[in-house]
Amino acid sequence: MAQLDNIIHQPVRLQIMSSLVALDPGEQVDFVHLRKILNLTDGNLGAHLTRLEEAGYIKIEKTFIARKPRTFISVTGRGRDAFDEHIVALEKIIQGRTNQ
Amino acid sequence: MDVTKQEAEATLEQIQALANHTRRAIASKYTSPLLILWGLVFTVAYLGTHFFVARAFHIWMVLDAIGLIGTFFICWQQLRSASPIKVSPAEKMGWRMFWFWTLLFVYIFIWLNIMAPVKAVQMNAFMVTAVMFASVAKGLWLRSSFMVWFGLAVTAITLFGLYLVPRTYYCLWMAVMAGGAFLASGLYLRLRWR
Repeated sequence: MAQLDNIIHQPVRLQIMSSLVALDPGEQVDFVHLRKILNLTDGNLGAHLTRLEEAGYIKIEKTFIARKPRTFISVTGRGRDAFDEHIVALEKIIQGRTNQ
Repeated sequence: MDVTKQEAEATLEQIQALANHTRRAIASKYTSPLLILWGLVFTVAYLGTHFFVARAFHIWMVLDAIGLIGTFFICWQQLRSASPIKVSPAEKMGWRMFWFWTLLFVYIFIWLNIMAPVKAVQMNAFMVTAVMFASVAKGLWLRSSFMVWFGLAVTAITLFGLYLVPRTYYCLWMAVMAGGAFLASGLYLRLRWR
């Protein structure tokens, strides 16, 4: 039975996951670009990304491109599954089959 | 966790809106410089054709070549450093964009040969509307209302120019209206998603 996910349901983390699952599998979004899309501060985004990474929902990759440090973020398979389950749980609430 | 039906509905709407917002933001990063480049190419080419009609073929050949080289350069640059997303080698969006537009122009060339002979103005209007059809299709695919409306607007501008503007002013009309639409849209995307 699908359950609401406490980690994902937090508003900022929900925003992050919503953006990341919109990417095609295999795509990673740049930290700066994600920050702009979500209109968050560096610290706020960083803290929530760490929480999601600890849960195994996202992967953070630090690299250098043209000698500049870049951080790329992607959703993991586990993260996609957890997000899908969260959506199903929300849909069930809407349909009146509450399972909180 | 207590979540009401209304909260669940609001959350699902927020998720959908954010997913669309993300797709549009990423797509615009790729689209904006290409729109500006082709806006400049079209504006200069149409103005050149209007004022130096005898050299129209050479003007378009040279400017289209500049446009294609510029498109290749922009896609290459985006893959190297400016890209907001990093993708696996088989799925590089920049290259997919490049091959999409390259193939479209190859098909337009094939279709024009099949339909030949056509008048220069008809040929031009066909090319512009074919590219705009691609823009509308891409907009529907990416759920970008901007691309859909942009495609429909330039199509309308082209058809207006073809059927209602005197032929002697067609290129001038297209330079200002179609070239201007490309430039304005590219600049709008750049400012909107900066």
